[in-house]
Amino acid sequence: MANPDDNARTEKKYVRTFIFSMRTGTPVEKLHVITKVFMIVAFSILTLYMFDIPVSQGGPDIIGLFLMMALTFILLAISRTAKYLVTSYLVLSIPVLLAQFFWWLFFSESLPGAKMTFYLWPGFLPIGISTVVLVVTFVLVYLKTRSIFVSLTPALLLWWFTVMPSVLSYSPLATWFKFPLGGAYSFSLPQWSAYVGFAKALGYGVLIYTSFLFLLTTRDAEIGGALRQLRVSFRKAFFVMLMFRNLNTILLDYESIRMAQVARASTVIRSGILSRMKDLAYVSIPLVATMIRRSTEMGVALYARGFEASKGMTDYKETKRLSSIDYMIMGILVAFLIYEVILGHSITALFVR
Amino acid sequence: MSGGENTIPTTESKFPWSNYTLKLGRGEPVSTTQYVLYAVQIAAVIILSYLSVAVIPLSYAGISLFYFVYPFFLVFTMWWGAWGMLGAYVGCVIGAGVLVGTGPVPSIVYSISDLVPPLFAFVLYRGFLANRGYDPLWRDLTDKEVAGVKTKRVGAWVWFILINGVILNIISAEIGVGVLYKFGLVASNAYWPFWIGWIVGDFVAMVIITPVLVKGLTTLVERQGLVNHGWIT
Repeated sequence: MANPDDNARTEKKYVRTFIFSMRTGTPVEKLHVITKVFMIVAFSILTLYMFDIPVSQGGPDIIGLFLMMALTFILLAISRTAKYLVTSYLVLSIPVLLAQFFWWLFFSESLPGAKMTFYLWPGFLPIGISTVVLVVTFVLVYLKTRSIFVSLTPALLLWWFTVMPSVLSYSPLATWFKFPLGGAYSFSLPQWSAYVGFAKALGYGVLIYTSFLFLLTTRDAEIGGALRQLRVSFRKAFFVMLMFRNLNTILLDYESIRMAQVARASTVIRSGILSRMKDLAYVSIPLVATMIRRSTEMGVALYARGFEASKGMTDYKETKRLSSIDYMIMGILVAFLIYEVILGHSITALFVR
Repeated sequence: MSGGENTIPTTESKFPWSNYTLKLGRGEPVSTTQYVLYAVQIAAVIILSYLSVAVIPLSYAGISLFYFVYPFFLVFTMWWGAWGMLGAYVGCVIGAGVLVGTGPVPSIVYSISDLVPPLFAFVLYRGFLANRGYDPLWRDLTDKEVAGVKTKRVGAWVWFILINGVILNIISAEIGVGVLYKFGLVASNAYWPFWIGWIVGDFVAMVIITPVLVKGLTTLVERQGLVNHGWIT
């Protein structure tokens, strides 16, 4: 007969995770936390290897990176956390990915191969794919933010991004009509710069979204349980648990103190950069004082409940056993790592000869 | 490790901070309050590391133009020894690494850059400068005297800037940006702009926040008996 506590847990529809809540019963929720850790480490190694293959050896494994990105989003969709990601961090991460692309476009060492023309302005207003990108981005961001300025910035940036390469602005497939407007301003970069920049941005995206996959689908208690399974002592496992449990509390404390500063008109009185930095400094005292006070209270509570004297502790209910699915996933990832990293094969090479 | 038992009685009579040494501790186990405090301070460093990178504009792949967690883990290390260093490392791995999307593998390696400054600062201050009249808890940066002993404020600031702001900061930037470059997260021509950004980000935060933290809290923490006498307790 099942334990009533276990039933209470399994009957819950949603459980709290590191940065959101997760629906119970999904295939990703059923995975062991060790499998999830193994998965993000394997994805991280694969991505770092894939986007760093030198041009002399065929360049980054772009199809492999697309595959990794698709896998990450499939897992996010299966875990039913994709909606949260789309409405929160997805928009925030786009500027980071664009920054990656532009850093690598302009700051990578001189790469071999033919030069490619990029336009600051092509000398005409193109109507085509770029227009679709502009409108769709604007509408999507506007629906989320209800701010014309905030929506226009990424929309214009992405629009320019599709106008800039000559292969897009002069292709009849991508540009349907042209309205002459001003002179053309262009610069040349090696063809590989754009390819490498795109691969880096894609790879960085995989790193970001796999981290989110882990944070959106893992509970702190699962980590405590997994540590106990790995024969880590209760005191050490509980220490790690305390650390993770307090993340949310400290973030809330920080936000409360910042809001108190804003309520005292700190943003109005001190608007310069240095003053804002000083404001951050003044957050430190109440934040650390609160942290010490809370620790003392928790320490006394733990002591009062016999934490120091207790020998046999009850283990975490969230502890799971590694299932055949867990072993299968880890096996597939190991095979993928051997194929790509150790044997040096590339997924792109399977399709492009 | 502490320079031998013979040095302690002579320095004890000279400076009020002579009980803060490089021994493991005072032979006592970690109390429950300390146990909780050490876990909570790591959580605080994780959150502040995350905010340092995620909230500040122009931050990139774990590098921030105003890395305001830097003074926090330096001060925490001066107070709590090895636990502050653990906080600096774990905070960087999770807060400035995994949470901002740098990925676990680069984060585990590049976070050594955040472990080096507190580790060396702790050893230098407690093992060398404390015996030469400089407070290892840095109260001499802001106070004219500590427990009746006149402080050397100018010298304290010179050492503070030289050790933490220049030497250890440069080593930290070299390790951090170097590792990110090796992992292919920083372009070769962008190495020096990021290196300078790292140094400036840490330096400005250190100069602005450390005195505020020290002035506001060190006495409180010491009065509650929460400052470590050695590395562990």
